[in-house]
Amino acid sequence: MSEASRVENPYNEWINDNISHKKAGDVWLALTGYRDGQIKSHWLRANGRIDEVKTACMDAQFASLTPSLPEVAWDEREIHDLFGYHPKGHPDLRPLVRTPRWPASFYPMQKQSDDHIEWTDVEPDNPAKVVEGEGITIMKVGPTHAGIIESGHFVFSIIGENILHLDAHLFQNHRGVEKALESLSVQEAKPLISRICGADTVSHQYNFLSAVEQLAGRKVPEMIEWQRIILLESERILSHLNDLAQIPAGVGFTVAHQRGLAMKEMWQKGLSAIFGHRFLFDAMYQEKLAVSKKEQLQQLLASFITQWHKWRKLADRQQGFHDRMRGVGVVKRDDAEQLGAVGVALRAAGVSVDVRTLMPLYRHNRIHIPQVTGGDVEARFQVRLQEVEHSIALIRNALEHLQGNQQDTSWSIPDDLTGEAVSYSESPHGLNAHVMQIQNGVILRYHVKSGAYRNWPVLAFAVAGNAVADFPLINKSFELCYSCADR
Amino acid sequence: MIQRKKSLQCRHVDAGSCNACEQELTALLSKELDIQHYGIDIVASPRHADALLVTGPVTDTMQPALKKVWEAVPKPRQLIAVGDCAAGCGVFQKAYASHGGVDKVLEKPDQTILGCPPDPEKILDTLRELMNS
Ligand code: SF4
Repeated sequence: MSEASRVENPYNEWINDNISHKKAGDVWLALTGYRDGQIKSHWLRANGRIDEVKTACMDAQFASLTPSLPEVAWDEREIHDLFGYHPKGHPDLRPLVRTPRWPASFYPMQKQSDDHIEWTDVEPDNPAKVVEGEGITIMKVGPTHAGIIESGHFVFSIIGENILHLDAHLFQNHRGVEKALESLSVQEAKPLISRICGADTVSHQYNFLSAVEQLAGRKVPEMIEWQRIILLESERILSHLNDLAQIPAGVGFTVAHQRGLAMKEMWQKGLSAIFGHRFLFDAMYQEKLAVSKKEQLQQLLASFITQWHKWRKLADRQQGFHDRMRGVGVVKRDDAEQLGAVGVALRAAGVSVDVRTLMPLYRHNRIHIPQVTGGDVEARFQVRLQEVEHSIALIRNALEHLQGNQQDTSWSIPDDLTGEAVSYSESPHGLNAHVMQIQNGVILRYHVKSGAYRNWPVLAFAVAGNAVADFPLINKSFELCYSCADR
Repeated sequence: MIQRKKSLQCRHVDAGSCNACEQELTALLSKELDIQHYGIDIVASPRHADALLVTGPVTDTMQPALKKVWEAVPKPRQLIAVGDCAAGCGVFQKAYASHGGVDKVLEKPDQTILGCPPDPEKILDTLRELMNS
């Protein structure tokens, strides 16, 4: 790039640096806005290093990355909604998180005090993007649903039996978690972090601890590391079991659905007996447990494996079930990469990315990445099957290393903890990244970018061109949480 | 044949939950707890419901929809707060877009099932008590 063009557009560097990271195959962790007008993006490089690229708003504007990196489209809309910064050149700046009920001048992430908010008494619906034309019907679903499901509002443009376009209006469950974390101490923040999402709680706890420990310079004892692996993999199994049980429900394969749920229940009860919580809330904060519970864990694993094999046989041999999943909800490799898909959805499209391979925590483990390429519902089902089995192996290996006497690993968080840290992990729903800024032990800014957030636009893409009746099946094959995304 | 005198039809609304409360409600439908064999079920429309189960601290965006669903439940009806968030004592009480519990936007719930999330057995016991009362 010539000097002249740099001068012409002060944003060039911001855009080009981010593009070069993408071209280099780096993993994009997060785009974070700050109260002082800074915008930072963090990239995870193949050597495990995290690079920061930053820009500063001028007149509350910054250059949109979306035209060159479509995967940041939502993040920029979110910054626009919550900070009021304008991403110049963004092709679709409809509100994402905010609703017509929000007072016009209310930008929660700018606000310092928590005064009473005067919500406007109108409907919260934002303008929907629909396809217009002869014979096209618009079908709106939600935000409340007929069954037990998290809240989300979906606007489908349909022609005949097929979906032309899905506009997903999430953030119905937006509570303002990131803001609620500000001004809390590390201790106070812990229970909130655990409850960002019931399905990925361990991954969130890990990211939080990892950010705190980076800043405190703590060297985590090896025994604790093995215990963390056990917790992360136990959560992966729990979440995958849930999703594997839900997919058969999408095609009326009730036996596999019910037996899958029963298996999940058994695993969950076992974890609860060992770690004290059915969803492992706050489990990683306690460091004393696993050595004394090693035998119990081994027994749980053994009885789970017996059930697992039976269930797998049942699911494997139903050819009709697999036929029903093939060719539905396809996300091809190029699209998955361009849209910034993560986790199961990305691996099912044939891309071998699993950030566990880069996490220092897993340095003594070999992470096996399933080789699946179809990009359809079947592929996402297969990836989960293989990952459950790999998690079993990782837990077994970790248990081998849990030995010796219970050590005292207690440490105290420095009162004056100060700085910024970026942390990440492979949650059951894919790459999960946190950015924490803390000053004298008080959180100044906390940003959470979950796997589900990344994959929602991918799901919307995957359903286009499919029959309306297949939406539940495709949806279940992603099984994205709303809470993690909405925060 | 044994005649079942009562049943309890419930409609569920997630008003900002972290999804663990939902997962526990789903566990009620599993063959282990099988609420249907007690005459309790989750129904698709509020018009068919005797009770409304609310999870989450009631986000501002969900508030209008929650109110509409509640209005659509025919009387006599029961309002049940499932979990600490809906009960007004969860961890996200003070978040800016959370109204801090179902009583703040609807009315005092007839039943409150505490827990974060409450155990499915506990939810089942409460629903059965309610059905028999
Ligand atoms: S009560 Fe607990 S489990 Fe239920 S929604 Fe709230 S945080 Fe989640």
